[in-house]
Amino acid sequence: MIELQAIERRYRSDEVETTALAGIDLAIAEGEFVAIMGPSGCGKSTLLNTLGTIDRPTSGQYLFGGRDLAQLPESDLAQFRAASLGFVFQSFNLIDELTIEENVALGLAYRKDVSDRKARVAAAMDRIGIAHRARHFPHQLSGGQQQRAAIARAIVGDPKLILADEPTGNLDTANGEQVMNILTTLNDSGSTIVMVTHSPSHADMAKRRIDMLDGRIVASAMRAL
Amino acid sequence: MNGFALLSLYRSLTRHRVYAALNVGGLAIGIATIIVLGLYVRFETGFERWLPGHDKVYLVQTNVRAPDQPFSGRHHWTMGGLLEQLREDFPGIVGTRIEPVSASVMENGVAASEKLKRVDPSFFDIFALPMVAGTGRGALADPANLLVSRSIAERYFGTAEAVGQSMTVSIEGETRLLRIAGVFEDLPPSSELDFTMLSRLPDDVDSPWWRNWGSTSVQTFLRFAGPEDAARFESGTDAFVDKRALSAYGEQASKQIGINLLPIADMHLTPQGREPDSRRQTVTTLGIVGALTLLIAIVNYVNLATARAALRAREVAMRKVMGADRGALIRQFLGEAIGTAALAGLVGLALVELALPFVNAAGGLTLTLTYFGAQGVILPLALLALVIGVVAGAYPAFMLSRFPAASVLASAKAPGGGQAGTRLRQALVAAQFALAIAFMIGTGVLFAQVQHLRSADIGFDREGLLLIRSMSWAEDEAQRRAIVARMAAIPSVRSVALSDSVPGGSGTNNVDTFKKDGSPPLSMRRVAIGPEFFETYGARLLAGRFLGDEFASDDVTDREFEEPRNVVINTLLLRALGYKDPAEAIGQQVGRGAPPRTIVGVVNDMRFLSPREPIDPTYYTYYRDPRYGPLTLRFTGDPKATTDAAREAWISVAGELPFEAQTGVESLREQYAEDERAARLFAIGAGLAVLIGMVGLWGLASFNTARRVREIGIRKALGATRGDIVRLLVRQFLQPVVLANLIAWPLAWAAMRRWLAGFDDPIALSPLYFLGAGLLAALIAGLTVLGQSLRAARATPAWALRHD
Ligand SMILES: Nc1ncnc2c1ncn2[C@@H]1O[C@H](COP(=O)(O)OP(=O)(O)OP(=O)(O)O)[C@@H](O)[C@H]1O
Ligand SMILES: [Mg+2]
Repeated sequence: MIELQAIERRYRSDEVETTALAGIDLAIAEGEFVAIMGPSGCGKSTLLNTLGTIDRPTSGQYLFGGRDLAQLPESDLAQFRAASLGFVFQSFNLIDELTIEENVALGLAYRKDVSDRKARVAAAMDRIGIAHRARHFPHQLSGGQQQRAAIARAIVGDPKLILADEPTGNLDTANGEQVMNILTTLNDSGSTIVMVTHSPSHADMAKRRIDMLDGRIVASAMRAL
Repeated sequence: MNGFALLSLYRSLTRHRVYAALNVGGLAIGIATIIVLGLYVRFETGFERWLPGHDKVYLVQTNVRAPDQPFSGRHHWTMGGLLEQLREDFPGIVGTRIEPVSASVMENGVAASEKLKRVDPSFFDIFALPMVAGTGRGALADPANLLVSRSIAERYFGTAEAVGQSMTVSIEGETRLLRIAGVFEDLPPSSELDFTMLSRLPDDVDSPWWRNWGSTSVQTFLRFAGPEDAARFESGTDAFVDKRALSAYGEQASKQIGINLLPIADMHLTPQGREPDSRRQTVTTLGIVGALTLLIAIVNYVNLATARAALRAREVAMRKVMGADRGALIRQFLGEAIGTAALAGLVGLALVELALPFVNAAGGLTLTLTYFGAQGVILPLALLALVIGVVAGAYPAFMLSRFPAASVLASAKAPGGGQAGTRLRQALVAAQFALAIAFMIGTGVLFAQVQHLRSADIGFDREGLLLIRSMSWAEDEAQRRAIVARMAAIPSVRSVALSDSVPGGSGTNNVDTFKKDGSPPLSMRRVAIGPEFFETYGARLLAGRFLGDEFASDDVTDREFEEPRNVVINTLLLRALGYKDPAEAIGQQVGRGAPPRTIVGVVNDMRFLSPREPIDPTYYTYYRDPRYGPLTLRFTGDPKATTDAAREAWISVAGELPFEAQTGVESLREQYAEDERAARLFAIGAGLAVLIGMVGLWGLASFNTARRVREIGIRKALGATRGDIVRLLVRQFLQPVVLANLIAWPLAWAAMRRWLAGFDDPIALSPLYFLGAGLLAALIAGLTVLGQSLRAARATPAWALRHD
């Protein structure tokens, strides 16, 4: 489904040039659950953002379902994200001024082809188990609940690919486990997931593990079944 | 403020340059606006206050108490002999008359007209004019003496020491040699007295008008020890009028005419007769515009300052963690805010100095800025800066410094920027945009009305008219005929006409009031015209015929008032007489107790006087060879060429009289000048208010957008396009603008309806002004916010999400 070829991403500030991604080749098939690991600053988030098209590679090719995304104009990318991707962030990134229900609905806000939005929002919240908090504002919820709301927002549009950047990073062990269980369940029912994590045990729950160092992939292994 | 506070103020200004420039600039513009408009208001309300003891001096008004007549209301003028009668009936009363006369100074055979007024010898008991040289008091006892202003002395003698010199002065056509007894200081701009020379009013005026109640030939001023004395005098005036006006008005004359007192300081802004109270309204309006503009600027400033301070909650928390106590934080924030406000005040002063020349030009004013002393601007400005600084600094100083540091640092979002804060800021944006929209509507209507006055149908063709007012001073019949003949011979002149009434007024106003057997009195103007008057003005004949020599009975030169006359009436009189169709009136009498007045023609209404005064019902009578009144020329081509030719013709036959002429357009323009000036000043104030509103909106938008960077990132990650983001941000700011329209429209509608009611020929208050201003405001708001939104929308979401 996904093919990255020779992806590079360099940041240029006044004098220094940082290479966040130094030639990434990676293929991800439909239904995979990939965990990305590596030390801080090695380029994990950059890779995930590139996959999510919210950051553009400096060079290289990004094929998604055979389409070359690197060549698409920004407006097409926005459409692509709305239709095909779901994001989960370490810091939840819910909008303070909106209720949980409205935050989840935001996952459909930029889809033009969707009908019965209300029902789908309700279904997504049910599935993740936060329906009883629909009318609350983010700051009235615990971190775990907020992250579940964020996952509900990510899946409400039935994305082809879910991208999660340290989804358990701000959560305690129990809440972390819960989020991981949700992700595993989602994967079991067919969603493709790419997740960045610092926790080896969470990485073990994925089907495949990728290790990064200094902007390169240094190891890629399937979990033994 | 210690050195550290100054440093931190400097840092906070230089670190966010654009923000600081907008914030300080917006407040500075607001301060400059209130200073300029405040100077204007103080100028307009400060007339005659320069006069020593002005609070004891009162103007005597003639009060025509019969309603709905051309002369109804209080006038600043009285009959000439009033003071003499007052002296007889109120022994010990102190007063003087001021009579404007036509006067010219002859030098080397050329006449230059000057503003000479004749006054009573007691003049200096009331008006203690500051003298430059010689004596004022007592000098006027001698009719051969003359007092002149400093600039006259300097113009004619090259020095202020002109005392003892002689001048040849022609007063009302009589030439005499007068000796300068004293030189007084030029009158300040804030005076309506308007004279440069004074001479003695003769004791023995024998004109029948001099003691005619209701006539208005002089200004009479009285001096009282205090307001109680003035009130006591005023309460006795009805009895005085009943007694003195008995022969003219019959029993209970004071029911129809009276006299009142007006403090001299109120004279300038008080309307006369049926004039609307427009001057005072203008001053009040512009004062309010200034105050509101300052208010908008302050609101914006405080708004922006507190919004930004909220973003600094983290900084405050960190400072506290590192050991700053609350007192130090409060001092820092208050010091910063007061310092910034003071800086804005200084910039505002600089702006005032830069702007005054333009404002003076636009408003025909001579405003100047004084810094120190009782009238000085420094002290109030310092107080203002202090107040603004404290208000703007109070929130960060007291609120932020009280937040518990731990919770601020632990929380993901900035405190103080929550829903309540957003609502309040939106409401403030809406309020100031409402004012800006109301101002824009006002400006639109003002200019449309003024434009309308300039182009509206006033019943005659205003282009190509030359009014030779100095014709009124020519009294010799042969000379008058010679002047008319010379003028008519100018090649560009199509026709010439004499009349006692011309556009812009001629000083002559005749009103006849007829009533019979209990019929309601009917008042109308009587205008005396000579040959070709209607043709010269281009009046439209609606029925019957014009007056002329070919009809022997038209000429009324040798007829008494009571004898039969042929007259032409205007449509207003036609209506007042109850006729619908002009043709019906032909051959009828004016009636209602009028002496025989046969209507031979009906013409359209011509507006010679101010657009703020109603046109009166009028009838015209014909003189084959009028002996007084100005001359009107109808010409083609360049007005200047005709004016020059007319001057040459004048000098060749009447060189000893000054030549005074004006085109019809110029004369009418004087009537509109005050409204045009007010419109321009209003537009300046309104423009600045809008500008400050934009600055405030821009600042708030940038603050808001900064606060929403993360949200924008999320939305983009979820698939929002740039367009979606821009729409989202712009819509957020259009909401208050829509709300602002809802507030502004009724306000502006009520205010402008009231203002337009002051005109006899107002424009319709079309919805276009409202829609236009609303759209303009929306456009301004949209463009202001758009730039920011585009920038925010263009940022990559990865960057935005990293900036949490
Ligand atoms: N906007 C930017 N400008 C400059 N350099 C950047 C920017 N974003 C990331 N980098 C650099 O790129 C490199 C990779 O960053 P990235 O965020 O992908 O790391 P990471 O592996 O996610 O680290 P962490 O585990 O700490 O989240 C780092 O060296 C970082 O400093
Ligand atoms: Mg990261």
